[in-house]
Amino acid sequence: MIRSLLNYTTVQQAFKCTVFLSLFFLKSTLVAQTPTDALMMPSKNVCFLVSYDYGAFDQYWEGERLRENQTIATVSRQTLLPMVAVGIFNDLNLYIGLPYVKTESSNPNGGRFEGAKGFQDLTLALKYKILEKELGNGNLYILTGAGFSTPATNYLSDYMPYSLGLGAPEFALRGIVKYQLNNGFYARGMAGHLWRGYTEAERDYYYNDGSYYTSFMDVPNAWNVEAVIGKWFFSNTLRFELNYTGIKSTSGDDIRAYNAAQPTNKVTFDRIGVSLQYYFPFAKGLGAVGNYSQVVHGLNTGKFTNVSMGLTYQFNFVKKTNTGFDDN
Amino acid sequence: MITKPFLFFLFCGIILCVSCEKDLPTYLEYEEYSFTGLDENGGTWKPVLFDQVSSITLEAPKEITSQSYKAEVTALKSAIGQMTDSQRESLAYWGNNPVVRWNEIALELIAKYNIIPGPNDDDSYTLPSPATPDGPPGFPFAHPPYAGRALAYLSVAQFDGLIAAWHYKYRYNRKAPYQQDTSISFAYEPNTLPSYPSDGAVLARVSRKILTALFPLEATYLQELEQNHLESLGVSGANVASDLAAGSTIGDAVAQLALTRAASDGMKNAQTPKAVSDSIKQAAFNRFGWQWENLELPTRPVGLTPLFGKVKMWNVTNVEDVRPVAPPAIDSESYLKDVQLLKDHASNMTEEKRRIANFWQDGLGTYTPPGHWNRFANEFIVEHKMNPLRAARTLAYLNMAVMDAGISCWDAKYYYHYPRPIQTIPGFKTIAGTPNFPSYTSGHSVFSAAASEVLAYIFPEKAELVRNWAEEAAISRVYGGIHWSFDATVGTRQGIEIANYTIHKAQADGSD
Repeated sequence: MIRSLLNYTTVQQAFKCTVFLSLFFLKSTLVAQTPTDALMMPSKNVCFLVSYDYGAFDQYWEGERLRENQTIATVSRQTLLPMVAVGIFNDLNLYIGLPYVKTESSNPNGGRFEGAKGFQDLTLALKYKILEKELGNGNLYILTGAGFSTPATNYLSDYMPYSLGLGAPEFALRGIVKYQLNNGFYARGMAGHLWRGYTEAERDYYYNDGSYYTSFMDVPNAWNVEAVIGKWFFSNTLRFELNYTGIKSTSGDDIRAYNAAQPTNKVTFDRIGVSLQYYFPFAKGLGAVGNYSQVVHGLNTGKFTNVSMGLTYQFNFVKKTNTGFDDN
Repeated sequence: MITKPFLFFLFCGIILCVSCEKDLPTYLEYEEYSFTGLDENGGTWKPVLFDQVSSITLEAPKEITSQSYKAEVTALKSAIGQMTDSQRESLAYWGNNPVVRWNEIALELIAKYNIIPGPNDDDSYTLPSPATPDGPPGFPFAHPPYAGRALAYLSVAQFDGLIAAWHYKYRYNRKAPYQQDTSISFAYEPNTLPSYPSDGAVLARVSRKILTALFPLEATYLQELEQNHLESLGVSGANVASDLAAGSTIGDAVAQLALTRAASDGMKNAQTPKAVSDSIKQAAFNRFGWQWENLELPTRPVGLTPLFGKVKMWNVTNVEDVRPVAPPAIDSESYLKDVQLLKDHASNMTEEKRRIANFWQDGLGTYTPPGHWNRFANEFIVEHKMNPLRAARTLAYLNMAVMDAGISCWDAKYYYHYPRPIQTIPGFKTIAGTPNFPSYTSGHSVFSAAASEVLAYIFPEKAELVRNWAEEAAISRVYGGIHWSFDATVGTRQGIEIANYTIHKAQADGSD
């Protein structure tokens, strides 16, 4: 049913880790294949992150029409994401993540469908800092990121809204620009394109504005943008951020009336969120992240509300010591 | 140095994206072929809708030596000489067996209209009505019984139309233009089929008319398809204008007969008012002590087509002759064994069982189980290089059996009114959608068994294959959690029995 399920991502940032969790929640939408922020982890540092995200919707857009559907009632999606980030060089970071996802409908519902659970997509991403330069009362950063993700298990993508992901390989390319004032205020913009391959259904006929005699479904490519403003507080131990995330598929069909969504649908959404990130002064290398987000507008997607929290731990794997802040 | 790993990653990603781009098939692609036979005696085969071919009249064509015919040939040559790229594409699309294409068009319309009406804001439901096809909701809801019936009328009308065409082709024996004049090239593999009347034009007209009656909102689209088909025939080299006009005449006459039968076959009463539906349910409860309930939210007041079991059958005289025995009583030993079986499947769902449940699901938004079996038939028809008449015969008997299967299955469903697993197993969840009609017997089982038997009769070397498929389709509903195992096994036997009525008729139609 609702393909959009997939599209929720949470924007969280591990402190020094500089990891954008959100990206990973959805391989599908994979906003998250590459970290989209502008933070870099120093060379020889590694960061572990574990986060939990709870997302749910009781309304979704069928084409442009926002509706309820008691067949599925409220659909929830829980995601547990373990991720590791490695500072290969000071200006090149690697990210690897594999989320575990569980979906289900609230009771009562009219459909009595079984939910789904399992590992979703393995994501590998690289982020590279092209430029860091003093400018006025602050610093300018320009980065680029590339990510690749692919289903880690044989989950069924053609089982919306319960499917774990879109079930297709995805390659993402992003550009990131950030400007941070010396007083801790910063603004960041990101634009990227997501190339999706085909997902394989377990049926060999489907309708997508016409007959398709194949089990392969073309998952639409998409544009992905992000705009963020934030500030560091308390000697760079606390960060507060407001963010906007947009996804816009470049092709695809609409969910048909009172019918299930499918991976070929044209998904678009605008989501706003707020994030907090905190570094514990008493435990060097340990940080916490939290995020709340709400999809405010969309096409062929659920009107998701997401809450997530996570812990990060960073250390230098050569010196075997925890690292302090870097100046980003 | 530092940028190298990044660039390499980028490069691999781009290669990967580009390499997986490919075209996905939207219809059955086949190389044009030489027919395995022309069935020259096809005009003597027994039609379905009428007794004597002579009741479809067609006047003799003008002599090929006549001025008017010569003018038609000249016009044909000119049209071929000025052939456009889009006409060439049309020739390639329609191919030398347009029976397959018109069947696929029907399957696509079924998938397009197989959308169940949702609830209104006040939780009531509005049903599609042929009297107000624009809706909302638009007409029709092309559910499996509707689909099976649509395919039956389409295929029977095509079959009868081609029998009449063959009758007059060999009676009047007008050679095809490309057979008379070597300067005219034929778009497909040459054969000696006489050209008057055009079999392609019969198909275009009869198919457009039947499908327009069944999918009234597609009238313009279907008109365009017919026009496109006729235009391709007009430059194929096989027909002159009078051949096409004669084919259209036969198409009109046969479509009229088919639609007359359809108008009075009982389908218009199949979707009943709530009072009738409630009395059917009460009768079952009085008889057996159980009754199926719709568990959707909001509850649908009436199940799908409670009186489809009363629709006129093609080859079975009395639906009660093929009604299966009663299912196990609720809480009986066999029933409880099945409860355990369903729970076991649900808690031990394997990838193979899930694949089977999904492969055969053919649910909302698809071409339904009848459509799935037509798709197989189309593939076999091409593989066997059948001519259009043979192809139409295959689909006619297939779809008569499929429609009879649907009628008999629905008779059992509403006579026994047996509950679905989600109704009687507390907390039970499924991986397939539970349909809006009683459980016993399974539509997939009856449709598939009937279809597979007809295909096994026509394609004997496929018998084992298609019977295995039918059993898999039947058990797929048990894996999906929406049917009892006895719905599937009894339904399979029911489908086989129904198909035999059709097969007996086919064996006596003069074609074997």
